[in-house]
Amino acid sequence: MKKLLAVVLAICMLGTVLAGCGEKGSDLTEDVTPSSSAQVSSSGDQANATGAKGDVTIWYYWETEGHQKALDHIIEEFNNSQSDIKVGAKYVPFADFKKQLSIGAAADELPDLVILDNPDHASYAAMGIFADITGKFDVSTYYPGPVNSCTLNGKLYGVPFGSNDLVLFYNEDMLKAAGQTVPTTWDELLTVAKACTTDTVSGFAHCSLQNEEGTFNFLPWVWSTGATAYEINSEGGIKALTQVKKMVDEGAMTLEAINWTQGDTMNQFASGNLAMMINGTWQIPTMREMNLPFGWNVASIPQDKYQASGLGGENYAVIAGGNENAAVKFLEFATSRDTCLYMMNAMGYISSDSTIAEGQFDGDPIYQVFVDEMQYANARGPLPEWPQISDAISLAFNEVMTGGDPAEAAAKAQATIDSIIKK
Amino acid sequence: MKKVKRFFRHDNAGLLFVLPAVIYMLVFVGYPILSNIFLSFQNVTVNNLVRGEKKFIGLGNYKVLFKDAVFIKSLTNTVFFTVSCLVIQFIIGFALALFFNKKFTFSKPVRGILMIPWMMPMTVTALIFKFMFQSKVGILNYILMNLGLISENIDWLTKPHTAMFAVIATNIWIGIPFNMILISTGLTSIPEELYESAAIDGAGSFKKFTKITLPLMRSTIESILVLGFIYTFKVYDLVYVMTSGGPVNSTHLLSTYSYKLSFDNFEYSLGSSVANVLLVILLLVGILYLKITMKGEEKNEQ
Repeated sequence: MKKLLAVVLAICMLGTVLAGCGEKGSDLTEDVTPSSSAQVSSSGDQANATGAKGDVTIWYYWETEGHQKALDHIIEEFNNSQSDIKVGAKYVPFADFKKQLSIGAAADELPDLVILDNPDHASYAAMGIFADITGKFDVSTYYPGPVNSCTLNGKLYGVPFGSNDLVLFYNEDMLKAAGQTVPTTWDELLTVAKACTTDTVSGFAHCSLQNEEGTFNFLPWVWSTGATAYEINSEGGIKALTQVKKMVDEGAMTLEAINWTQGDTMNQFASGNLAMMINGTWQIPTMREMNLPFGWNVASIPQDKYQASGLGGENYAVIAGGNENAAVKFLEFATSRDTCLYMMNAMGYISSDSTIAEGQFDGDPIYQVFVDEMQYANARGPLPEWPQISDAISLAFNEVMTGGDPAEAAAKAQATIDSIIKK
Repeated sequence: MKKVKRFFRHDNAGLLFVLPAVIYMLVFVGYPILSNIFLSFQNVTVNNLVRGEKKFIGLGNYKVLFKDAVFIKSLTNTVFFTVSCLVIQFIIGFALALFFNKKFTFSKPVRGILMIPWMMPMTVTALIFKFMFQSKVGILNYILMNLGLISENIDWLTKPHTAMFAVIATNIWIGIPFNMILISTGLTSIPEELYESAAIDGAGSFKKFTKITLPLMRSTIESILVLGFIYTFKVYDLVYVMTSGGPVNSTHLLSTYSYKLSFDNFEYSLGSSVANVLLVILLLVGILYLKITMKGEEKNEQ
C-alpha cells in the first residue's frame, strides 16, 4: 500500500513538470477588480459617438507604488467622467509579463489594453495580438523614436506612453572626497571610478543582467563608438566590450552588477555602496522621496566618439479582438494634454508628445539633463526577433565581464545576430 | 445487459471508481503533455503563435537543440546538479537521521526544527542565499575572511565556475530535511530486537549498520533516491531567483533554459522541445522506479 502511494506520488510529480507551466495563466483574466471603487454616478454623460462601451482591462508592470497610484488615479478620473466604459487595471510583474502575454495569446485570454516595454512591441505586433490603429490616432506631434517602436510594416500598432533615457548618476560627496570631477570620457570614467573605490564602495556600475534590462544599459557603450546594436563584431563593438572588461578587471566597475536589476543598482547607489551608476529617468521621483543623506547629481553618459544614450519607455497597445473601441476611447483620454502631463510628472517620464515635452521640466536642472539627452538616445529594434538579438548582446558583455575575450565574444554574438537578421 | 453484468462480475467495478481520477489526469496532465509534444514538432515562433501556418518540421527542433552549446551545457548541468545534490543530501540526511534516532533529550524537537528549510518557500530561501553569497557584503565571504581561509572575496554568484556550486549548496541545504525525515521513518520500522540479538552475538556498530540497517532500509533508500532525483531534476525557481541561468549561461538547467527560450526569446517550439527532453529523462527514471517497487512487491508476496 505504501508503495502504491509512492508510485502515485512519483507520477504526480512528473505531471507537475509540464502542467506547472499552464496553471498560472488562467486566473489572470478573472477577478480583475476595477482599480477605482467609485461607482459611476456622474450625471453629465457624454454622448458616445462610436458606441464604445463595456469593460476595459489593462495589464501593466510598474512595480513602484507611485506609478501604480498615478495609473489608478487617471483610471478613476476616466471612469467618473462617463458611464459607458469601465476601466480596470491589473498588475503583472515585469518578470512574468512576457510570459503572461504569450500564454494569453495562445489561450486567447488577453486584456483589452496593455502597457508594455517598447523593445517588445514589434514582437507582439508581429504575433498579431495588437490591433492596427493606423488612422484612429494622431501621432504626428510625437517624437519619431517612440512612434517607430509602435510601428511595424508601416502600420501603427500602438501609442507611445512616455519615454525615458539613461544618464550618469554620481554621488557628489564621494567624488569630492576623492578629489575628482564629473567624468565625460571613458578614460576619465575609469580614473574617477577607481579613485572612488574603497573596501565597501564600488566606483561604478550599471545593471548588467543577461537580459533586456542589461542590454539596454550596455548599448550606450556600443553606440558611443559609432557602431549599431547589430554590429557587435566591428571595431566599435569590440572596443566597447574591451572597455567594459577593463573597467571590471581594474576594479572600477563591480562584477556584482551582473545580478543587479536597475532597481537594485539604484538601491546600491542610494545606500552609499556605489559612487556612480548609469540609470534612468524613472528613478528620479523615488530618489527624491528618499531624501538621500548625500548630494547627488546627473550628467550625460561619458563618451567615446559620440554622445549616446538608450531610449526606453512604454507603449500602449490595443489588443486585437478585445474591446477595441472602448480601449481607444480611454487612450484618447490618457494621452490628452492634462492627463498625460499628470502621468509623466508622477512617474518621472518624458512625454513622447513633443508639444507636451517642451516645457515639461522648466526650471528642473536634473530632468533637463534627461530631456537634453533625449536627442542622443537610440531606440532598440523595432524587430520582432529583437529579444534574440538582445540575448546575444547581453551574453557577450556578460562573457567579457566574467573574464572572456572581447574579440571571441563579439564574433560569437555577431554569428547569432547575423543568423537572425538573414532569416 | 449480459455484458454489463459480466463486466461487474470480477473486480471490474473498481475501474469505475478510478474513472474520475483518470479523467482528471487525462485533462490536466495528459493533454498538456501531448500538446507540448505536438508543439515540439512544429516551428512555432513569435511570427506564427497566433496566426499563420504552423508547419510540422519533424525532428528539426531537436536537431537544432543538440547542436546548441547552451542546451548541451544545461543538460550536463542538470545531471551534475542532480547527482551532486542527491548524493550529498542523502549522506548528510542519513547521518542526521541516525543521530536523531538515538534517544536523547531534545532529539525530537531538534529534528522538528531541522525541517524548517524544507518548509520554507523556495523563493525565500533562494533570495536569502543570494544575499549570503554576495561578494562584497555577503556573510559567507565575511566569515571565511575572518577565519583566514581566503585572502580575497570569492565572486560566488558572479563567476561561471563558482555559481553552480553556490546553487548546489543551496539546494543541498533545502533537501537534507527531506532525506532525513524519510530515513528516520524507515529507521523506526526496524525492530529493536534485531540490534539487541546482534549485540549478543558480538556485532559492533559498523557491522550492525551494514548487516541490519542497510539491508532492511533498501526499499526506503530506493524510494528516496528516485523521488529525490525527480524532485531535484526539475528544480526551476531556485536557479531562476539566484542566477537566472547566468553568469554566461553557466547555471542554466533544462527547466530554466526551456523557460528562457519560450518566454524570453519567443522560440516556443524550441522551448517545448527542451521540456520534452526533461520529460523523457524523468519518465525513464519513473519507469525504473516502478520496476524496482514492483520487484519489491513480488518478493513480499512470495
